[in-house]
Amino acid sequence: MHEYLTTKQIVESVLSEAEKHGAKKVLEVHLTIGKLTVLGIEQVKFYYELLTKETIMENSRLIIEEEEPLVECENCGYKGNIHFEMEDVYHFLIPTLTCPKCGKTVKIVKGKEVLVKSVKVVVEEKNV
Amino acid sequence: MKEVIKLEEETKTIEVGEDIFKLNEKMAEENKKIFEKYGIKAFDVMGSVGAGKTSLIEKLVEKLKEKYSIAVINGDLATTVDADTIGKHGIRVVQINTGKECHLEAYMIKKALEKINLEKINLLFIENVGNLICPSDFKLGTEKRIVVISVTEGQHVVVKHPLTFLSADIVVINKIDLAEVMGVNLDKLENEIKNINPNIKTVRTSCKNGFGIENLIRLLNL
Repeated sequence: MHEYLTTKQIVESVLSEAEKHGAKKVLEVHLTIGKLTVLGIEQVKFYYELLTKETIMENSRLIIEEEEPLVECENCGYKGNIHFEMEDVYHFLIPTLTCPKCGKTVKIVKGKEVLVKSVKVVVEEKNV
Repeated sequence: MKEVIKLEEETKTIEVGEDIFKLNEKMAEENKKIFEKYGIKAFDVMGSVGAGKTSLIEKLVEKLKEKYSIAVINGDLATTVDADTIGKHGIRVVQINTGKECHLEAYMIKKALEKINLEKINLLFIENVGNLICPSDFKLGTEKRIVVISVTEGQHVVVKHPLTFLSADIVVINKIDLAEVMGVNLDKLENEIKNINPNIKTVRTSCKNGFGIENLIRLLNL
């Protein structure tokens, strides 16, 4: 639901980085979105296309990598993906903060990021 | 005749590494420091439209206004209905109208805090925009995050919104006076919440008749 605002912030962040490096055009944007955010990937892509129009980002490729959540257990030292439980009634996987190893509660370390990882830009255009 | 000039591009990859959500988190940390500096206990109250967030805050204000100096920040897309309701209790209320935004963000709270004499309050309730999904992505810097759900949202409200419960501290199950009519099994609801997040404390309330409010006050250490 807040994909518009978030995508706008992504575009602003990329534009400011590109400007800092004197880029003429942006070709690719690599983005990591944590699976524990409530952002819809398709909506982000939609707004990206819309918001980059008439900027140096227009027609650039947006490559989104979804990041698996990482949790850590202070009790037994488990470090890994968040555990999902199969709900019998709903036949649906529900995430849980219960440690899959010892049953205590884990802490979320990763999975809530919206990270602009890298940007590929054109710095100069030369005539051949 | 058409002339085509072929360009050879010199490209470069810039490593950015900027977390867009970190900007909000940084601002939330600043809010937290403000609360600590002035000795203010702050709570973020989240939940769907009509779950009973305003009624719950009203009940808490009624019970606590002798003991604490309270302020309330209300978030809504439009209107001052909630602020007017809470304002009747004679406390400081700031209404944030987000326009089209589906949640409150830390910078909005910082702005609202400028409208409150922080030296004169020691308890703050922030009523988030009615929405069980989006506010979970945006911490505001409060001591605890409270999610209000109600039995009129149906038996499946928790499992349909699991991410919201991963980041909450307390869940208030409201309107329990209607549980029977709604055919909602409260034990099952509670189990589903605990399955997602064993750290969450739950409390059953009815803001209509005041049931459970004292229990919530104890859970909040107020």
